[in-house]
Amino acid sequence: MTNLTNFTIKQAQNGLQNKDFSATELTRSYLENIKKKDKDINAYISISEDLALSQAEEIDKKIAQKESLSPLAGIPCAIKDNIMVKGERCTSASKILENYRAIYDATVIEKLKTSGAVFLGKTNLDEFAMGGSCERSAFFPTKNPHDLERVPGGSSGGSAAAVASDMAIYALGSDTGGSIRQPASFCGIIGMKPTYGTVSRYGLMAYASSLDQIGPMGKTIDDCEIIFNTIRGLDKMDSTSTDFEVKEVKKEKLRIGVPKEYFGEGLDKEIEESIKKAIEFYEKNGAEVIDINLPHTEYAVSCYYIIAPAEASANLARFDGLKYGTDSKLENPQSINDLYLENRTKGFGAEVRKRIMLGTYTLSSGYYDAYYKKALQVRTLIRQDFEKAFEKVDVIVGPTSPCLPFKIGEKADDPLAMYLADIYTVSLNLAGLPGMSVPCGKSKSGLPIGLQIIAPSFCEKRLFDTGRIIEQKII
Amino acid sequence: MISEKEIKDIAKLAYLKIEDNEVEKLRNDFSSILDYVNKLNEIDTSKISETSNLSKTENVDREDIPKRFDKKLLIDSMPKQKNGYLEVKKVLYND
Repeated sequence: MTNLTNFTIKQAQNGLQNKDFSATELTRSYLENIKKKDKDINAYISISEDLALSQAEEIDKKIAQKESLSPLAGIPCAIKDNIMVKGERCTSASKILENYRAIYDATVIEKLKTSGAVFLGKTNLDEFAMGGSCERSAFFPTKNPHDLERVPGGSSGGSAAAVASDMAIYALGSDTGGSIRQPASFCGIIGMKPTYGTVSRYGLMAYASSLDQIGPMGKTIDDCEIIFNTIRGLDKMDSTSTDFEVKEVKKEKLRIGVPKEYFGEGLDKEIEESIKKAIEFYEKNGAEVIDINLPHTEYAVSCYYIIAPAEASANLARFDGLKYGTDSKLENPQSINDLYLENRTKGFGAEVRKRIMLGTYTLSSGYYDAYYKKALQVRTLIRQDFEKAFEKVDVIVGPTSPCLPFKIGEKADDPLAMYLADIYTVSLNLAGLPGMSVPCGKSKSGLPIGLQIIAPSFCEKRLFDTGRIIEQKII
Repeated sequence: MISEKEIKDIAKLAYLKIEDNEVEKLRNDFSSILDYVNKLNEIDTSKISETSNLSKTENVDREDIPKRFDKKLLIDSMPKQKNGYLEVKKVLYND
């Protein structure tokens, strides 16, 4: 059988419709590619071969009966392992859920299943999505397909690496502070974080509920748009969800805002050059480039590292290791608290424990006003920065990450250095805005560079349209 | 810098156990993060309202219809079970 693994969603769907290959052949090809490549890359935590092949067979039956197919029917994909697929393992890359199997489908999974998706497996992440490198997985680090000594980014690093190495045609990730966009940038693919509320979070293991958002990761913007339109929508199981969208016609003259704060200290020179070239490209193609200010940018990381751990400390309180998770080895516990302490301490990794404690601290009486309340107020200012900017511009562009994919272990001992890598991405989560990372160049050493495009809330269409102008033009 | 006692108190509140040899590293990590986030005090926020979430502020109602989960999957998701019941360790209080 020829190798059928270098497809976008659209190409694969054409192949299925033209009967160039069957859904089963396509799925087998990807499963084989995983077997061949994943021992080096480690993108997957678990492979759901049986599920994938049975889903592919269903689609082949439909093709044989000449039923009409949705664009995702028969297309093999990967799902981040903090999103529940009924009957499959769902670990959040944590020991505390090492043996847990999901008892229901996340709403996004239900929607993908209705569209005929094929689930190849569950991908690696930083434990409970807390991290930006995939090194904080309790099981193993994932490698960047462009350079196996480097990280794929995170936390949705497994999903990004799987798509970048043709071990899935597309993937779902989740983004709390940049966890879709930064790994997409590091792995040279498209990653999109939708507006807060546009995609249901039901069945996503909660990290920081006011920031978490599920989104698509793929090889092209068209693919990401197909996925987004499939998974979006109001869901009665997530009261923050909405089907609101801004309908608009494509603007004749696009006004692009370039925030000066996104080109300050700490930005890698090669990335800066590449992003500036991308901005020039837009200008040459008729866009008006406008300098703007987002004055509270320098406070976004501080704000995030108060709010996210605070919400995490509450969300992760549910894990006591008794109802699900790992069985405690503790003999003769003296009290129920001994069991909780033992299970949680052994079950959570060091970074997760640290963030739970940080959140517990900033929410505790005496510190609540100084930290948590203060961060919520600054969050308002960050939101207002964007509101003001969007009075003058249609979209905002800048780098997705201040640094190139770094070597595994390079930043492991410096918590602050790792947190600062989120500097351009966290603001969007704080403000609820949609954003997308689009590959816009490579470093001299061949590492991918991503351009982040930011749109006003519920203007995803504008995001996709703006991205398509530059997609695959200047690499 | 955050004290050893504070670190231990937070751990207790968070239901986490801390080994003595972890305390110093946590004190250092906490201090570097807290020093950094203290940057927020540069801003006067006395007249700024809080953004705690971004969703609609009205209540969202729905019918309270029980959802049936797959019993076998539910039981299989437990770390240990006996005859369909969750099995946990015997805890005898020694007060």
